[in-house]
Amino acid sequence: MIPQRALSVAVNVLVADGLAALFLGGFLSLPALVLVAVAVVGSWGREALRLEQMPWLSLTLVGLGGAALVVEIVTAAPAMLDVFTHLLLYLLLIKLYTRRTPRDARDIAFLAFFMLVAVSPVTISVVFLGLFVAFLVVGTWLLMLRHLLSEADAATAPALPARPAAGLGRDLLRLSLAASAATIGVTALLFLIIPRVGQAALPLRPQATRMVSGFSERVQLGAFGEIEADTTVVMRVHLTAFTGGGGSPETLPSLRWRGVAFDHFDGRTWTVGRSTARLTLRRRQPVPFPVQAHHGGPVLTQEVYLEPIGTEMIFGAPRVLRLQGRSDFVVLDDLGNIAVPVPAARLHYTVESEPELGDPRTAGVADARLTGDARLRARYTQLPPVSPRIAALAREVTEGSADHWEAARRLSGWLSRELAYTRVLERTTALDPLDEFLFVRRAGNCEYFAAALAVMLRSLAIPARVVNGFQRGEWNPYGSYYMVRLHDAHSWVEVFVDGAGWVTLDPSPRLAAGAAATAAPASLWLDALRMSWYRYVVSFSLHDQLAAADTVRRATWTWSAAVLYPPDWREIPRPALALGVLLVVAVVAVGWHRRRHAGTAGGGGMPAFYARALRLLARRGLTLEAGETAREFAQRAGWEPPLAAVTGAYERVRFGGAALTPAEAAAVAAALDALAATGQIPRAPTQGSDDEMTTDDRQVR
Amino acid sequence: MTLRPLLARLRPHRTIRPTRDGWWYLGAALGLGFAAMNTGNNLLYLLVSLLLGLIVVSGILSEQSMRRLWLRGVVPEEIYAGRPVLLGARMANRKRRLPSYSIALEGGGRRLYVERLGAGEERLLSWEATFAARGRQRLPGLRVRTRFPFGLFVKAGRLVLGDEIVVFPAVRPLDAARRRRLAPGGARSLHHRGRGHDLYNLREYRAGDDPRLIHWRSTAKAGTLVVRELEAETTVDARIVLVGDGARDPGRLEKGLSEAASLAVHLTATGAAVELAGPGVHVPPGRGRAHARRLLTALAVYAPPGEATVPPRRGPAAEFEVALG
Repeated sequence: MIPQRALSVAVNVLVADGLAALFLGGFLSLPALVLVAVAVVGSWGREALRLEQMPWLSLTLVGLGGAALVVEIVTAAPAMLDVFTHLLLYLLLIKLYTRRTPRDARDIAFLAFFMLVAVSPVTISVVFLGLFVAFLVVGTWLLMLRHLLSEADAATAPALPARPAAGLGRDLLRLSLAASAATIGVTALLFLIIPRVGQAALPLRPQATRMVSGFSERVQLGAFGEIEADTTVVMRVHLTAFTGGGGSPETLPSLRWRGVAFDHFDGRTWTVGRSTARLTLRRRQPVPFPVQAHHGGPVLTQEVYLEPIGTEMIFGAPRVLRLQGRSDFVVLDDLGNIAVPVPAARLHYTVESEPELGDPRTAGVADARLTGDARLRARYTQLPPVSPRIAALAREVTEGSADHWEAARRLSGWLSRELAYTRVLERTTALDPLDEFLFVRRAGNCEYFAAALAVMLRSLAIPARVVNGFQRGEWNPYGSYYMVRLHDAHSWVEVFVDGAGWVTLDPSPRLAAGAAATAAPASLWLDALRMSWYRYVVSFSLHDQLAAADTVRRATWTWSAAVLYPPDWREIPRPALALGVLLVVAVVAVGWHRRRHAGTAGGGGMPAFYARALRLLARRGLTLEAGETAREFAQRAGWEPPLAAVTGAYERVRFGGAALTPAEAAAVAAALDALAATGQIPRAPTQGSDDEMTTDDRQVR
Repeated sequence: MTLRPLLARLRPHRTIRPTRDGWWYLGAALGLGFAAMNTGNNLLYLLVSLLLGLIVVSGILSEQSMRRLWLRGVVPEEIYAGRPVLLGARMANRKRRLPSYSIALEGGGRRLYVERLGAGEERLLSWEATFAARGRQRLPGLRVRTRFPFGLFVKAGRLVLGDEIVVFPAVRPLDAARRRRLAPGGARSLHHRGRGHDLYNLREYRAGDDPRLIHWRSTAKAGTLVVRELEAETTVDARIVLVGDGARDPGRLEKGLSEAASLAVHLTATGAAVELAGPGVHVPPGRGRAHARRLLTALAVYAPPGEATVPPRRGPAAEFEVALG
């Protein structure tokens, strides 16, 4: 490809990359993108406008652009970033229509780069990674092409002999690809080590983040019906450690992510009561926030990536002990809810929980305050006027129960056994929703089950509350994390059992009703890629850097120890040993092959075949003198045909920069054999040195 | 141990500085880095890393291009004042596998560019130069520079081809009258081919022969072009004497030295043994081209002495006086 054409292609690819980035960031709507693309295509094949010859056009463009900017800033711009991107677009189009020199191509590349810069604060999509890599590869190629074209233009004299640059295109493409790969590696390394001393603070375009609707901080019976078919991933949970517990944390039963608990019911809606006590915790050091006391059970550590779903709530496995995140303050309440007041932002945090395992009555985590505090007990047994049939049903089901825990389990079991799970929530009567659910429709979704259980428990004076959160979600084997989708939103109940504290009960037979369809492997893989992007790029923090540094330090120590105190080779695993031996053999083979074929490679230095010829001649007393050329030496040796052939081949390889063809190599081998077989070559009379040289052939490195 | 060798060892092998584009680039990286730190936005950190990564890769590639690049100066042994001369440099890539890209030889207002130099490849770069004055002079010197691969930084090697050369005085061909005047001064045939006056041989015309040497009578007889070959001539001995020291009139001095150099070149070309004598300068008689260079060198570096005498003539020789003013 002609360099100029290659440069044009690269320029247009970068322009497309920049425009795609603006589209991704929401700076360009689809019609606007099409419009700009048409304008870009319109610049192809045109003769470049010469603004310097058309001062009126220059003035008009500057005036129009300036006026449009001022108007946008004063009136319509949602944020300065929008003004900036529009300015970039304007400059880009002008450059495209006036592009003549390689320097213009460079300017366009930088404009496209700043489009990526403009988008970076408002997107975290993994598509950005693709655009970034595309920019890196094509940008590297463009910068190299531009450099070579500019340099060739600036040269005052060509080198002699002028060689055709036919191979340079392919060469350059290969080199630029290698440079791109190296740049990706170096960029990744720098990204890892540049200290994250800043704080993600002011969003440059506050309304840019799209929030997933659906999860709310109140339970209105029937509301989940709209979202139970929505497969949008809202949360990704990576189980990083399970301290003190046996087995894999993924196998934990009834794993769910608690969000918000409600204590007040008005007959239709569960809400957080006004009397709920809240506590704001602030910190100056990046230490975890303490949430609840640890009672000695296993601790499950979860790393959560939460999409903006319009809630401030923090989700985690029940009984959250500690919370570590970027925010410098959190709000806790006495319902065990944790909030970080940045609802529009994507959150990345780590929580440690003490999961409920075994019989809760033996856990010994009771909230002592509730046992003796009548006011609190009244709060969790509060009920509006409900149908007496509900209380009667509760009493009937729990008759003969030994304690609250047994009564709660009986009620939960009865609900999940006797009633059906459905997403079809049509009201058919004018009764209260729970009345209709329990005695008429006898089917509902998880909210109905949870609300019914809580109301029935409260009718028996057993403290209970409804909790909203998410089910465990789908396990992604490619990224080893749970993908929690919107349709995993779930409600359950926490019941207070004396001596056991708040215990989770899930009366909903949702799981038995049929699990959601499993995602296709490609979809899982893509989501794992997205998760890696969030985890290792978007959410990368100083804490991660320190952890990475610590890992490197430990690895270094381990390697040092391995070097200082090498293990017995018999203890090395056989595959590793075989691999090592194979590696050594390969290195030796490659080295031997190189030595053998060094002479025909056409590289610098003395070819091996000529060195051999010199050795053969040296045995006969003919040695190359200092300053003597190969030709002079051959002349002195009498121009014997084998030596002449070897000398000719040597000159072609050494100074012609060409490798020997197979036929030439065979001829050289034959000549060497002949040289080895012949007897003493008669020594030619030594000629006087030629002092009539006309050039100074000094080596002046 | 003195400090100088140590300092020389520590001195950077190459220098590197940003180009104008490079300064803009660094400014952009700095600004973006500030924005990244201010916002804590990891995608900005990623873009900053890209800019810095390109700088690192640029350094590696430019070093790769410059590594094991060798230069050999090609300087003619005879350089005359006022006469254009072709200077050159052989550039060789001594790497075994990797080519060098975008190498420029820069200096003295010249810029010679090599787009690609393959592994083991050698390229001749040449340029024309004219030295206005005789004497010892230093070549302007060239540096190998590369802005490869992105044009953001200039990496330069040490100064090369900055050698000292001797520029001989301007030599002008002697006019025919002068040549004739020089001939009776003891010219004799040397009985081999040359550029004298006597006939040495007749032979068939060959391409490149001077048409003035065609022997028309023999041509007519033979039916093919026949040319004359002339005998070489020389003076028996010649002595060029510089008269005056030229201290008062530099213009006259240069003119005189140029005249003496022209005489020396002409006389040695005819095979004469030529001696040069003058105030503060003496080159004993000698023949051949090497001797001609000795004469020219003496004339090239001639400086008017304070007080000096001309060495006396030692043998019979035709003496040519050249006035220096």
